[in-house]
Amino acid sequence: MKGFKGPWGRGSKCITLDPLSPRVLEPYKAMDHRVVITGLGIVSSIGVGKEAFWENCLRGVSGIKPILGFDVRPYRSRLGAQLPDIDFKAFIKPANLRRMDRIGKVVVTSVRLAIDDSGLNLKEEDSGRMGISIGTGLGSSDTVDQFFRSLLRDGPLGAAPLLFQTAVPNAITSHCAIEYGIKGVNITFSHKESSTEMAMTFAYHLLKEGKADVIFAGGGDELSEPLYHVYSMLGALSPGRGKGVEGMRPFDQDRNGILLGEGSGILVLETLEHAKKRRARIYAELAGAGLAGSTNGLLRYDFRGDSIAKAMSLAAEELRTVDYISAAANSTPDLDVGEAVAIKKVFGKEAKKIYVGSLKSMLGEFDGSGGIRACALALSLYRGTIPPTIGTEHLDSRCDLSVVLGQPRKQEIRSAILNSASNGGSNISLWFKRYTPS
Amino acid sequence: MKKRVGITGLGVVSAVGNSLQEFWDSLIQGRDGTKEITVFDPSAYRTRIAAEVSHLDTEAHFSKKEIRRLSRCDQFGLIAFREAWKSARLNQDTFDKERVGVVLGAGSGGILSVEKYFRDYYQGSRKASPSLLISYSLATTTDHIAIESDLKGPRTTTATVCSSSSASIGVAYEMIQMGLADVMVTGGSDSLCEVSYSGFSSLKLVDPENCKPFDKRRQGLVIGEGAGILILEELEHALRRGVTVHAEFMGYGICADAYHLTAPEPNGEGVERVIRIALSHAGVSPDEVDTINAHGTATPFNDIAETRGIKRVFGEKAKAIPISAIKSMVGHCLGSAGGIEAAATVMTLKTGIVPPTIHYEVPDPLCDLNYTPNQSIKKNARIALSNSFAFGGNNVCLVFKKYERG
Repeated sequence: MKGFKGPWGRGSKCITLDPLSPRVLEPYKAMDHRVVITGLGIVSSIGVGKEAFWENCLRGVSGIKPILGFDVRPYRSRLGAQLPDIDFKAFIKPANLRRMDRIGKVVVTSVRLAIDDSGLNLKEEDSGRMGISIGTGLGSSDTVDQFFRSLLRDGPLGAAPLLFQTAVPNAITSHCAIEYGIKGVNITFSHKESSTEMAMTFAYHLLKEGKADVIFAGGGDELSEPLYHVYSMLGALSPGRGKGVEGMRPFDQDRNGILLGEGSGILVLETLEHAKKRRARIYAELAGAGLAGSTNGLLRYDFRGDSIAKAMSLAAEELRTVDYISAAANSTPDLDVGEAVAIKKVFGKEAKKIYVGSLKSMLGEFDGSGGIRACALALSLYRGTIPPTIGTEHLDSRCDLSVVLGQPRKQEIRSAILNSASNGGSNISLWFKRYTPS
Repeated sequence: MKKRVGITGLGVVSAVGNSLQEFWDSLIQGRDGTKEITVFDPSAYRTRIAAEVSHLDTEAHFSKKEIRRLSRCDQFGLIAFREAWKSARLNQDTFDKERVGVVLGAGSGGILSVEKYFRDYYQGSRKASPSLLISYSLATTTDHIAIESDLKGPRTTTATVCSSSSASIGVAYEMIQMGLADVMVTGGSDSLCEVSYSGFSSLKLVDPENCKPFDKRRQGLVIGEGAGILILEELEHALRRGVTVHAEFMGYGICADAYHLTAPEPNGEGVERVIRIALSHAGVSPDEVDTINAHGTATPFNDIAETRGIKRVFGEKAKAIPISAIKSMVGHCLGSAGGIEAAATVMTLKTGIVPPTIHYEVPDPLCDLNYTPNQSIKKNARIALSNSFAFGGNNVCLVFKKYERG
């Protein structure tokens, strides 16, 4: 056997086998478990860790700043929400750290924070009943670019194998599985801005059916130069071609496109049965997921509200319990207006009683933003506070909803919706409920 | 209650045939699709071969404008989708578009187009059209398919690369179980590109001659390309429409080795686990399995780990199960490998023929099962598995059953 040997090469050290857990092999019976959120891991431009993030979120601190790290002079836009410098050694074993690229470190750190926050003792868990479900737009877009440039510069024989193995989009998921010994469900989704919501939907369904006890669900993305270039060339970035001022201002009449952000957010999703057994703190319940496609063009947003209806199975009495919607609105006319109209259509007269906000105003837009936004929503439900939407000054008359502007709002929330909408038309809504024991 | 799910449509584009029938005929005759690469210049590489799609008359399928706009991956996906869609007779039926979704698996996706753009850009030229960048997202082919047929059900894209389209079939199945769809378009599409070719090449995982799964002389994979699209349909829905059910999809398993970024866990423990999970979720006992469509990449380590895993599940009986590794003919199609292999698995159940593993000459004592060497065999199989494994130890196993009425 010639060539690259990986870990098999070094004296063929065989690992000791975990005995197969009998529970993994139980004949499968479909169940109907309740699914709860018991841990949050946040690596964001406005804070690393739940408390730092939440404090800034409520104060309406923006992560959007002039971009550092690459030259934005060739572009019309110059702002983005980048992560602060993070000392990853504090979170990840040094031996594993050197195998990871930046987005790998970011996602693994968010999983570490989520595990610590949940109080899970991984050694006591059945590794085959723990899973990971990650959403990301491009995973390691920077590594792919580095690899491609090494190929252009040095030819095929100079292409670096260590870059390639982290360049695949599911490398971030594999890093987490290896770092924490997560041997159950393992999947990566990449579908533009609804990637992480899909990851949570899949995890929710598997837990509900009893196919796992715990799934780390969420994900994220990085703001890399090639990604920035692509968005810019496709004309998606604020201020666009007009004369407007660059900025994120969801629902504002003067919005003019998105600004990119980065980060990762992970929910520890768990069956209620499992959470109770270990007496876990429960932030909220994930009670439904609705998916709908629209076909209005490859680069267009078209949120029509049917995903909300599907997530809640259209039960009228349940629609009335919705107090807060964490909107997908991203400072584009298509999505801001489309989503506002859809909310009014689904909730009718009740729509104005529902508080609405878009955290993208602070975090910027990125494909994997749903992880952090879901963590924030869980905190809103648990602590009864809705963070403000910032940057928005003149509400578009078509977006005449109760948008929480400027200041956070103290508000008991019975249930809440997290929306996502991808350009091209995959719309996902997740329905979260305040946890009540009965 | 668990819903029964059938496969009512299939479409394939591959190096050995650009329709399901052509593909299947080639497989059972043991034709090799490996050839010299033409989509990019391979002269600087150690190896210059791939299982490239050829003789595809794109102009018969798309307008000139569409050909400019669609990546090679989009084109394969759309052509296979149209075949599957037509064979499921969905073009003639009235059905609820809100209840038809699309979940595809992606590997490199449209990176071939993106490479073209960035090659120009980094070499200082500004000639390349930014519209090539539409393919930057792995979701592009999925969206094209949904938009073409106005499908408004759930839509997503899985991105576990070598196992992507097997994972997508599992996800599509769950969408039906969740009650969000009656029909799901699933599988995957992928095209050759330099990033993935040079990547596997840099890891020294590419065989310079041909792909020889489970053979002692194997040196690695041959990269392939193409699309394999399946129409999954809730069985009741299919029966109401009176369409042919090619096979039943019983369930799947998905899990991780949690071992290494590129190498499989050597003892086959991950392979064993995923097969057992798949069987238990499908409600099938190991004794019932009649044939296995192996992942069989012909990398030294995969083939040993897969063999060990199969033996751990089936024990002595393992040697009696005909296994086939069609990557010996169609190459490793990365994001579409699982879809193409699932199509072959369904055809095995439907026709009672197990396709061969070609280029098999020198047995490897570490791979001592029945790999259906060089000649296809007749076997009236009732239960068939299809394995897919990916970088990072991501394992998927799909369980299909011959469709029997009642």
